[in-house]
Amino acid sequence: MSIDTIAAGVRSGERIGFDDARELYREAPLALLGALAHGIRLGRHPEGVVTYIIDRNVNYTNICVARCNFCAFYRPVGSPDGYVLSFDELFRKIDETLAVGGQQLLLQGGHNPDLPLEWYLDLFRAVKARYPELRLHALSPPEVVHLSRLSRLPVREVIDRLVAAGLDSIPGGGAEILVDRVRKLLNCYTKATADEWLGVMREAHRAGLRTTATMMYGSVETPDERLEHMFRLRELQDETRGFTAFIAWSYQPEHTELQGVEATAVEYLRTLATARIVLDNFDNLQASWVTQGGKVGQLSLAFGANDMGSVMIEENVVRAAGASYCMDEVEIVRNIEDAGFVPKRRTMHYEIVGDPVFRAREVPRRFGLDVAKHEGEASIPSELASYRGRSRAARDARRSEPPGGAPTSAPE
Amino acid sequence: MMADEAERLWETHDILALGTRADEARRQRHGDRVTFVRVATLALDTAREARWSSAAREIRIAGRPHDVTAAEQAIDSVVRRAEGRPVTAFSLAELQALAPDRAGFVDVLRRLFGAGLTSVASADVDGLEDLRQPVEAVLAADGHIARFTVARATHESPVPLFLAVRALQKTTGAVRAFAPLPRSVDGSRPTTGYEDVKSVAIARLLLDNVGSIQVDWALHGPKLAQVALLFGADDLDAVPVEDESADGRRRAPLEEVKRNIRAASLTAVERDGRFGVLES
Repeated sequence: MSIDTIAAGVRSGERIGFDDARELYREAPLALLGALAHGIRLGRHPEGVVTYIIDRNVNYTNICVARCNFCAFYRPVGSPDGYVLSFDELFRKIDETLAVGGQQLLLQGGHNPDLPLEWYLDLFRAVKARYPELRLHALSPPEVVHLSRLSRLPVREVIDRLVAAGLDSIPGGGAEILVDRVRKLLNCYTKATADEWLGVMREAHRAGLRTTATMMYGSVETPDERLEHMFRLRELQDETRGFTAFIAWSYQPEHTELQGVEATAVEYLRTLATARIVLDNFDNLQASWVTQGGKVGQLSLAFGANDMGSVMIEENVVRAAGASYCMDEVEIVRNIEDAGFVPKRRTMHYEIVGDPVFRAREVPRRFGLDVAKHEGEASIPSELASYRGRSRAARDARRSEPPGGAPTSAPE
Repeated sequence: MMADEAERLWETHDILALGTRADEARRQRHGDRVTFVRVATLALDTAREARWSSAAREIRIAGRPHDVTAAEQAIDSVVRRAEGRPVTAFSLAELQALAPDRAGFVDVLRRLFGAGLTSVASADVDGLEDLRQPVEAVLAADGHIARFTVARATHESPVPLFLAVRALQKTTGAVRAFAPLPRSVDGSRPTTGYEDVKSVAIARLLLDNVGSIQVDWALHGPKLAQVALLFGADDLDAVPVEDESADGRRRAPLEEVKRNIRAASLTAVERDGRFGVLES
């Protein structure tokens, strides 16, 4: 089928099939792809609003046994650079987030064998007790799978316990490319297969949670596999309607074991626009200014994106791999308005919560993203001794303890 | 294109339609070809001892000379070792500051071109009150200006500036390449992506008498430079000869620039500092 015929079908609202999507993705001029995507975006969001959220992207630990070869953030168990954030450190980060108008914590981390499910449950309960209004957008599907294996509980049970402790929604991280051939090459097949990732999301949606979906492209996958990823998401969304948004971001190669080069800006815009065309059952597509920078991030608003993501405040994972872009609320709002849209703050569920905070009260400008750990802060908090770790070091430490051992839950 | 139409385009949010128009204008002139130049930039203070890679296709001396002799000596030293490579140096404003009047300025320029200078490296179109007079002085000295540039971001419409460049070109024919993106921005309020691609597109549409619309690869980065190629730009300036980072030498800039051009479905063609094509 010709590009013009496929484009006409898209304009008339027909659902696109795999072969036609491939033809568009590979052959259509960038401007045509953008126009098709923008047309769909305007049809879905005719009010001319571009949303964003003020939250903080906190990584509670960088210790990870998954060892994905595309990740520059993780440290193996026993590494002197490994860390776990204490509850108090997390509370301080939440205080800072609330002070600039944030209402959510995006909490993700490594697969740390010394953090059992009880640690997460205690943390969530403590956060909710202290900050009842704060939304916890936490634990990507591979982390849930990790906790399922660690606790020897079914994914459904793990999710139900996390929800009972305060989990509000699940971020779509760890999806990479939902094709097992790719996941094996990226050494992330064992952390979660494509089916396992989708299975966690299915369970989360069943439990009433809304989640996002991501795609990390530009490593070892083919263009067809990027499309396969999108079509698998579309299929699950048809089934559950649980995804709120899709976020594509390019693999960041610096300091990773895999290395390689980053996909170009034009490839990003093509991928974003194609996603808007394929994912006809997703309401929201985010612009990934974190990986593309503010300029291409803003241009994304003409290529299908209707959301500028998060002000973020803190970011560690992408920065570890070489990208260090920063946009505070002033900058995000300026970019949205400059592109001709109306900026609105939202929740994770994409409910509008208001106008920019800095227009209602003074908020300090931020020209850099914060980091997980500051110099001089302890790498491993003392409270971790209260939990039963699974690493060799933790087991050795338990053997040397007096009879009775450590408690399995943190003291109140 | 008339000024009022260009002003309307500056106000548009439909960057895809604008980009399509500019891309068509660019393709009519250059087809799918994108030229780029690898530049070795030398600091004036150390130019006389500086070494550069043999891959450099232009050697550019940067810095404000104290006097004509210092400028001349630096140029002479570099030209002697350049093995025929084009040597560019200084901005038009920096050189103008060395001369007391127009006649003296022509003499200054003749000395520098006599020392082997291929072109004045750049002329900021927003940095000179009277652009035409110094440009004509360069022509009177039988010299060239490699590129016309914009010094500072204002967030205002660039159309009056672009019209001034068009008028200058009409009367002098001196503008071989124009780089419309500002070289200096306020870090707390940088130009936006929309502003940048609109500037590039409008420059292409408005400057129908200028050969190349240029983007500085090193200054603006691969992402914006690549996108600009689909909004009317056809030439990438200042591709580094080598890329040394704190972690050691990284992927060769030559491969990086070619990869970005190919990924935009365009054809990379290397040129030298005289705008001579080196490969196809």
